[in-house]
Amino acid sequence: MIDYELTDKEKRLQNVMAEFCSREIAPRAEILDECPKEEVAKLAKENLQKLADANLLSLGMSEENIDMVCHYVAGEELAKACASTFLCARASTFLCAGILKLLGTPEQKQRLIPDLLKGNLIGALAYSEAEAGSDIAEIGTEAVKEGDSWVINGVKNIVVNAPIADFFVVLAYTNKKAGPYAGMSLFLIDKVNHGLSIGEPIETMGLRGAPKAALYLNDCKVKEIVGDIPENGYAQLKRILEMGTIGVASMCIGVGTACMEKAIQYAKKRKTFGLPIGVHQEIGFKLADIFWNNDIGRMLSLRAAWAFNSGEHESEVLGSCARLFAGEGVTKIANWSMQIFAGSGYFKGSDIERLYRDARFGEICEGTTEIHRLLIAKCELDS
Amino acid sequence: MDFTFSEEQRMFRDTVYRYAKEEITPLCEDADLKGEFSFEVWNKIVAMGLTGLPFAEELGGAGADFVTCSLASEAMAHAGVDGGHMLALGAHTYLCGATINDWGTQEQKKKYIPKIASGEWIGCMGLTEPGAGSDAASLRTTAVKRGDKYILNGSKTFITNAPLAQVMVVYATLDRSLKHKGITAFILERDFPGFSTGQPFHKMGCRASATSEVFFEDCEVPVENCLGGEYKGWNMALGTVEWDRSVLLAPGVGGAMFTLEQCIRYANERHQFGRPIRDFQAIQHRIANIKIFLEAIRLAVYRVASSKDNGQMINPLIAAVNKLYMGDEGCNMAADAIMIHGGYGLMHEYPVEWGYRDAPLGAIGGGTSDIMRLVISRLMLG
Repeated sequence: MIDYELTDKEKRLQNVMAEFCSREIAPRAEILDECPKEEVAKLAKENLQKLADANLLSLGMSEENIDMVCHYVAGEELAKACASTFLCARASTFLCAGILKLLGTPEQKQRLIPDLLKGNLIGALAYSEAEAGSDIAEIGTEAVKEGDSWVINGVKNIVVNAPIADFFVVLAYTNKKAGPYAGMSLFLIDKVNHGLSIGEPIETMGLRGAPKAALYLNDCKVKEIVGDIPENGYAQLKRILEMGTIGVASMCIGVGTACMEKAIQYAKKRKTFGLPIGVHQEIGFKLADIFWNNDIGRMLSLRAAWAFNSGEHESEVLGSCARLFAGEGVTKIANWSMQIFAGSGYFKGSDIERLYRDARFGEICEGTTEIHRLLIAKCELDS
Repeated sequence: MDFTFSEEQRMFRDTVYRYAKEEITPLCEDADLKGEFSFEVWNKIVAMGLTGLPFAEELGGAGADFVTCSLASEAMAHAGVDGGHMLALGAHTYLCGATINDWGTQEQKKKYIPKIASGEWIGCMGLTEPGAGSDAASLRTTAVKRGDKYILNGSKTFITNAPLAQVMVVYATLDRSLKHKGITAFILERDFPGFSTGQPFHKMGCRASATSEVFFEDCEVPVENCLGGEYKGWNMALGTVEWDRSVLLAPGVGGAMFTLEQCIRYANERHQFGRPIRDFQAIQHRIANIKIFLEAIRLAVYRVASSKDNGQMINPLIAAVNKLYMGDEGCNMAADAIMIHGGYGLMHEYPVEWGYRDAPLGAIGGGTSDIMRLVISRLMLG
């Protein structure tokens, strides 16, 4: 029977997450955003530790399963408080733990997943490269078999969590001639592995509180792949990125909701021509557009999350719809919100200025909106 | 959460879809072209029991819930039934019938619902006036109690089904100085003295629905035909929102499904530059837009319908979002469909042409998009 209500368990998670994040994480969002790049790693790690101490780092992931509805609900609340911290936590507990969950051997799962979820270990997923993003088949990183090891060479130009990660999950060709589906593998590489080095912290326009750096692999000798079947990496990466649409959408709606709350507050307080500006239609109608974009985006996201949980065959396309809608939505929302704040929003240090920069990654992160449009259209045109 | 329809709901939807596609849709193109309501179409709708869906079985209905009623409307539009006849069905069953069913006394229900359920009488609802559209509370049709009658004077406009209707729910004011608090609803019959309707308007879209003005000149309404009690009309008018934001929007879901199928077919068949146009990203872009709209509007419609079935109060914010999203994005969807079809999209034999003309009603009827934004912003500001 049709029912849109979250379960009691999901509502509890939402409440606990919202309460904790507004108390412990949100006040640090500005500090993370403004700190010098050398300090990002330390502050981000502290945030992960806070979440871990409260048992809230897992974002819906458990040793038993990946609950995408819980992932969405928890993700939205964390991203609303601090999108940088969300990106950082998710890279470790969803992307890395998720890939291990899907592809890892029982031993790997047992060794790594509990510690990732508890924050004892931090993971980073390194797949895209300077010349390979939307078209991941173009990666240059290659692993050559030598005895019972592989020797890997390549550069991953921007990896979230690289400065703080204990280990990396790295996508490389093991058989380039076989193409991406049959020729790519995912490797598990410890941060102290010989031949692995991490670049200087990278600065970005938004999400500045998420530590990022390049990963260099120079004759990096590695023994361990994720799982026990090589050349199975691309399919599993693709799967986790398909599910990842839910997390990206949660980030967008979280940021969008933060924008909305700030904009409402301001529109009530600020007066022009003797009236609160929200009463003027040019402002009030922008608030309405902000509201429906968040509302429809959240509904699409939860619908898609539920589809993943239930194993519906349309879950991937629903995920793309949600992520695309939420991504374009938050760009518009941040823009309208800035417009509502006008001069008071444009200066450095204003919340809306930070949110505006954070929002812009929503249309880019893990498959641009253009790529998701192509995926949706292809799925429909072939139906 | 659960997004699965029950087996019974799915089977009913399939039945309605197949029936509409075989029996009704073939008649619609001609009706839209002529701009004439088709009794042949109407009789088919009646024969399937669709005019009585929400009413109790003892009143000649099927006792269907909101979700099932919405699925039926979705299925009809998905099968290609034109917007005009969908609108006629909506105004008849929901704006007129459901209002009487929700607020009427036992006597009123027994008298009117069986006739509405069986389609023997066509119903309509009158709120809008020449001078009262978005500002509906400023209506000027007056009702004065005189003995055992109310005397109504004034006029209504843009009333769907008015030229055909035998029964009408009318909102009039007992005291204009009370503004919206003076509004009261009445059930009128066509042969009440002083009741008349104008010539059908020529409309841009939903052309097969008959729309006209209604005039009340010392129109005599028996006291027992006051609906829901004196001074209660405004809340009743707002209450139709529950139907308006779910079942009446459901044809939009079916319409989007129908449109998407038309566009996919055309994009696969049509070749330019030596390739099917589906290969071009500009076409794919529009296909993806339509798919997203379809998924979103489906969720929006069944959110209101299911919350009603689950006994929850309708959230006015959510209701307004549904209406706003359907109206504005429905127009964008219709425009995308035309552009996929190019020149053929402007031709009547391609149903996307009717869709483009039908869509703006979604952004205007039952509260314009601008009014929805006003409602949402006021609720947000508290």
